[in-house]
Amino acid sequence: MDFGSFLAAPEIKVKVITYRDIFQDKAMLENRFGEEYRNLSAVIKLDPADLKQLSVKKGETVILKNSFGRVVVKAEESGYETPHKGIAYMPKSPWSNMLVSDETGGTGVPKFKDISVTVTSAKGENVTELNF
Amino acid sequence: MEKNYYVCTGCGLLCDDIEVESEKDKVNKVYTACRIGVAHMKETRGEAKFLVDNKPVDEATAINEAASILKNARNPLIFGLGTSTNETQKIAIELAKKINATLDDPSSFCLGPLAEALIQDKLKTCTLDDVRNKADVIIYWGTDPSDSHPRQLSKHSYFPRGSEKQRGWEEERTAIAIDVRKSHTAKICGNYFFQIPPKGDTEFIDALIAGLSGKLPKTSYNYPPKKILELANILKGAKFGVIFVGRGLIYSLENLEPLFKLMKILNEKANFHLIPMIGNYNTMGFNENLFAETGYVNSVKFENGTVKHGPEYSIVESLKAKTVDAAIIIGSDPLSILPRSIAKNMLEIPVISLDHCETLTSKHAKVYVNTAISGVESGGTAIRMDGVKVNFEPVIETNNPSDEVILKKIMEAL
Amino acid sequence: MTNAMELYQMLPKTNCKKCGKTSCMAFAVALMARELTPEDCPPLKEESKYKENYEKISEIFKPSEGATETGLIVHEELCFGCGNCVVACPPNVANDPYGVGSGNAPKNVNKLVLTIEDGVVKAQNLEECRRFGKNKILCNGCIVTCPVEAIEFV
Ligand code: SF4
Repeated sequence: MDFGSFLAAPEIKVKVITYRDIFQDKAMLENRFGEEYRNLSAVIKLDPADLKQLSVKKGETVILKNSFGRVVVKAEESGYETPHKGIAYMPKSPWSNMLVSDETGGTGVPKFKDISVTVTSAKGENVTELNF
Repeated sequence: MEKNYYVCTGCGLLCDDIEVESEKDKVNKVYTACRIGVAHMKETRGEAKFLVDNKPVDEATAINEAASILKNARNPLIFGLGTSTNETQKIAIELAKKINATLDDPSSFCLGPLAEALIQDKLKTCTLDDVRNKADVIIYWGTDPSDSHPRQLSKHSYFPRGSEKQRGWEEERTAIAIDVRKSHTAKICGNYFFQIPPKGDTEFIDALIAGLSGKLPKTSYNYPPKKILELANILKGAKFGVIFVGRGLIYSLENLEPLFKLMKILNEKANFHLIPMIGNYNTMGFNENLFAETGYVNSVKFENGTVKHGPEYSIVESLKAKTVDAAIIIGSDPLSILPRSIAKNMLEIPVISLDHCETLTSKHAKVYVNTAISGVESGGTAIRMDGVKVNFEPVIETNNPSDEVILKKIMEAL
Repeated sequence: MTNAMELYQMLPKTNCKKCGKTSCMAFAVALMARELTPEDCPPLKEESKYKENYEKISEIFKPSEGATETGLIVHEELCFGCGNCVVACPPNVANDPYGVGSGNAPKNVNKLVLTIEDGVVKAQNLEECRRFGKNKILCNGCIVTCPVEAIEFV
């Protein structure tokens, strides 16, 4: 049964893999509170099939949520040739860090690369501002 | 005519062949550096010089306020220093001793365990120059240097001619990428890109070890055994192999054991070295300097002449458990780089931020000092990610004090 | 990327010599060298059954903006400034083995095809490029080493 179709807005679960992006790092050096850095950071790259299931077009915003936080970021298509439904990619940034668990098992090392979130359409809500 | 080359402190590679056209206090043009290096050299700074409670003050007021925060703290945290010189780091260690501080740097949640193993000679390593001169098999594992250390492939590993590698990369070198996604580096590696599922590294190592020992390589995710055997064969034939290890690999391992095992067998069958892909220009320096002083590379707590060590003294655990009651952050931005669920606890304690740019951390700091851009406006020495010491001069002038000067003044004021 | 063989496949393959060359293959080579243009093959230009191929070939050789003598264009906005192309470029290596050929800053700037300026690759001295002139080789050293597609030959 496809539960998504019963809800007002379809919701999917994805695992997020973070990565470094040279242009995003460059933008941070130039101005970490600037628009370019935000545009290159507050992004999630999804499989086209996931986008379709969410009925979200690329470039529209989505809500990423888990028990540690909630952020609104722009959804993009990943562009990878191999399909990766259920896995999404985000550049490492304060936005991805809003979703990282505080559970460390006492090791001192957060699970930066092990992020699970639900994704739903943000219905036009703006990208989360960098703030505390 | 000998040219005057500068060192770029934009990343852990510390490229030492950068030409710059500059005026007194402004970089106009940069040659040979990558995009990151150029952005770093041309970084601009905010107007503010010294702030207390986000209001402009003079230097003395800022220093005194900082000193009083540290004096009143029972267990202050000193953190950052990845983009500070060895000289600054040594002063920070002195300061930590003097005020019985908890001292840590980002390596505690990055590649610290690897740096420790290398400093203790538990893994065979070599310099980037050795790689350029000799390496025939190069593995990028859980790292994408094209984005994080852009000149790594061109200056040090895959493409340059070296003393024993005169015929060029197509003929004499094999570059291999092992990663969970097809990074830009993986793209360059072409057919030698091995894509594994997230958290699949430990199993992949086991399978590779099996392959190296002539057994059938098996993984729960059914990686084609033929491909693993093919990889094992390339590795066996290496005369001078090197594995560049990034956080992608380290985060996916429970501990370093699998890596030790892999390196052991690789060195029985061939000749392999390991180099960590350290991001900040002097994290290795911090690890070495602290090790020389205490026998530990990070996460320490000084207490009346003794030193304690353990994950509970890392920034993450000490913020989480709220064991620190003040913090001085040097050239780092924990509010951006840590999970928000943990970093938020920093808002509850007085923070001193030394940085050349405004950050989330500086905006929420009680005291902020706008320091010189380390490596651009101030010089010193640093340890490259392969352990080589590098000396550098400032590229341009500034009136802003270096973090070294400010730390010294805070020490005096205490 | 196009090579002479692919071009040949799109030509009439009749070896009519109306272009002044001895064969269609020779014409393809002349096209690649930019010695002749697609219009120099009368059947290709005039006969309707070649219309589609004529358009395709013309598209390839359309004088494009920013293209240099060898057809090399740099998409500056994509470039990482990593220098892979600078170090891998064969004439660069031959002309400056201990500078760029060894991964270092250039020592012999006047002979280099590719260098990095302000974090972006710059092409110059194109007479040194292996794709230049009559005896060109379809070298792709700078293309296959690029992490993105920042260099293109048109
Ligand atoms: S690779 Fe690193 S050290 Fe070299 S120029 Fe780029 S940022 Fe600077």
